[in-house]
Amino acid sequence: MNNELYGFRSIALKEAMHIQRDRATLFFALVIPVVQLLLYGYAIDFDVRHIPTVVVDMDRTRESRDYIQSLHNTQYLDIVRMADSPDEAERAIRSGDCHVGVVIPPDFARLKGGPTPPQVRVMVDGSDSQVATRARFAFVSPPAGPAVDARMNVLYNPNSRTQIYMIPGLAAILLQLITVSLTSASLVREREQGTLEQLMVSPVGRLGLMLGKLAPYFFLAVIEMCAILVMGYLLFDVRVTGSVFQLILMSLPFIVASLALGLLISTSAQNQAQSMQLSMLTMMPSILLSGFVFPLETMPGPLYLLAHLFPVTYFLQIIRGVVVRGANILDLWPNVLALLILMVVIITAATVRFRKSSA
Amino acid sequence: MVAPANAIETHDLTRNFGEFVAVDHLTFNVTKGSIFGFLGPNGSGKSTCIRMLCGVLAPTFGTASVNGFDIVKQPEEVKRSIGYMSQSFSLYRDLTPDENLTFFGGVYGLKGEQLKRRKQSVVELVGLQKYMDRPSGLLSGGWRQRLALAAALIHEPELIFLDEPTAGIDPVARRDLWDLLFDLAGQGKTFFVTTHYMDEAERCNEIAYIYLSKMMVMGTPEQLKSLPEVRPAGTRRVAVAISSPPRGLAALKRQKFALDATLVESEIHLLMPEETTDDQITAILDQEGLPGAVVRRIDPSLEDVFVTITRRLAKT
Repeated sequence: MNNELYGFRSIALKEAMHIQRDRATLFFALVIPVVQLLLYGYAIDFDVRHIPTVVVDMDRTRESRDYIQSLHNTQYLDIVRMADSPDEAERAIRSGDCHVGVVIPPDFARLKGGPTPPQVRVMVDGSDSQVATRARFAFVSPPAGPAVDARMNVLYNPNSRTQIYMIPGLAAILLQLITVSLTSASLVREREQGTLEQLMVSPVGRLGLMLGKLAPYFFLAVIEMCAILVMGYLLFDVRVTGSVFQLILMSLPFIVASLALGLLISTSAQNQAQSMQLSMLTMMPSILLSGFVFPLETMPGPLYLLAHLFPVTYFLQIIRGVVVRGANILDLWPNVLALLILMVVIITAATVRFRKSSA
Repeated sequence: MVAPANAIETHDLTRNFGEFVAVDHLTFNVTKGSIFGFLGPNGSGKSTCIRMLCGVLAPTFGTASVNGFDIVKQPEEVKRSIGYMSQSFSLYRDLTPDENLTFFGGVYGLKGEQLKRRKQSVVELVGLQKYMDRPSGLLSGGWRQRLALAAALIHEPELIFLDEPTAGIDPVARRDLWDLLFDLAGQGKTFFVTTHYMDEAERCNEIAYIYLSKMMVMGTPEQLKSLPEVRPAGTRRVAVAISSPPRGLAALKRQKFALDATLVESEIHLLMPEETTDDQITAILDQEGLPGAVVRRIDPSLEDVFVTITRRLAKT
């Protein structure tokens, strides 16, 4: 009889009983991986199609319209907007609404079929690598008919440096990760240690408790945000093309929304282990669905909606917009508005949930 | 406003959780300046009742006023006017006593000079001066409870709820804490205390005993001991001193006349019919080889009161 092994059978049986009793762990161990596999299996699609495209048609002839239609038919591009000038098209790209701009010259119909094919200017958004590489396919396999001289022009990140679009994205992901994990344990810890009971009999209001818990972490996260920007510049030479001040300003609702997401997790969890598991649960979609790895536009409908429940999805657009494309608040306001709404919704949800769980 | 004579008044206070009735029509008053013992087995509804009286949980039915405030209409005023100390240490372990007191003082709106004065006053009261700068989690159980009491008193509440304040602390610390409570009650503070210790129950001015969500009995310890259901007609209680109490107990328990028998402080406490004589008992113990038993008449203890009442109800 080996004494070191003594008790193995009893311990193993007891542990199996624990697992059977702890439904939450069982759920996380069995169901969640399957669901996530299904989700991300569908999301992970490098074959990027339907890139939102803005077109400037200066010719306005049957030929130019046919050409636009043929671009649309390649399925690589989705013509979502017509602009009056190349400047307007560039604004649409800078704001993140479109990733490709096509400028058809006024002599398009006249030159078509002639000895010198018409020159079409193509602006490609360099702030998303997947889009930048895929957009070319629409033009290398030329639509039927005489050739068109498409001149590609990669905007914002002409050398296609990986860091230029990876660093801002990473910054957004890391910020959400940190903020969510900072606050997710805080309420649960008070519940476990019995201090919540003491607070409940005190005059502290629920919103006062929620916002009071957020405040110090908020300053911590803002400092973290600045540190990431400085590091990105010093180590990876990623410069903020737009206004640093505006970027920090727009990061504020993101930081509050993320911190509140952590609190919401905290109100749902019974103990710190569960709050950890739930934080992990938000991590995967934040990385895979936010547009960090795969462009948002190519995601199937339900995943596209799911992605927009996470603050990081909007902030990723903002930080890439400001850092890479030099976008400003006016270009990015829909994202800011969405973050503000999300912030209010999450704080309200956390406060309401807290009321129910503590009653 | 005329100051109410009672710190707590409840009328038919009831709380249901779904089908389950956790607190069932409790009606009682707690006199100002008294130490009120709220007793009952675990799960009998004590905690639910306290949470209602603290303004945390709304009653399903009935009313209660605490320090003159209605617990349903004025829960915030109730919360401001009471102190609360729970069975488990519920202050921040990573903060020092000084920081904990500053925090809880701030929660109740104290600041500046006033906060400083109040802190000094409660620290001196519980004698915590030497321990103000170490993490509270490192204090021993007794000191932690003193700190918790200091925190509960920081805003000068008139009424303090103590939920099993002495669970798990040593006898000396327990005695010290009670001495402190007597002092404070003498100054006019009211204490609402739950406990499972009978010696602590004896120290209360008044006791309410609840069981299965209902009020069983209420009164001073003396009143409870003279209740008719605790002294059934035609019975008497005796204490039997003997050389081997466990063996004697086993022998007496076998007898038909032993209505209830237990060991208390190495004596056998026995409830038996009036007509059973002391000689009968000594004779039985003699046969068991336990000569020299001394029998004397006793009054029921509080433990007898609660055991008798609880068992009688469990039977029906």
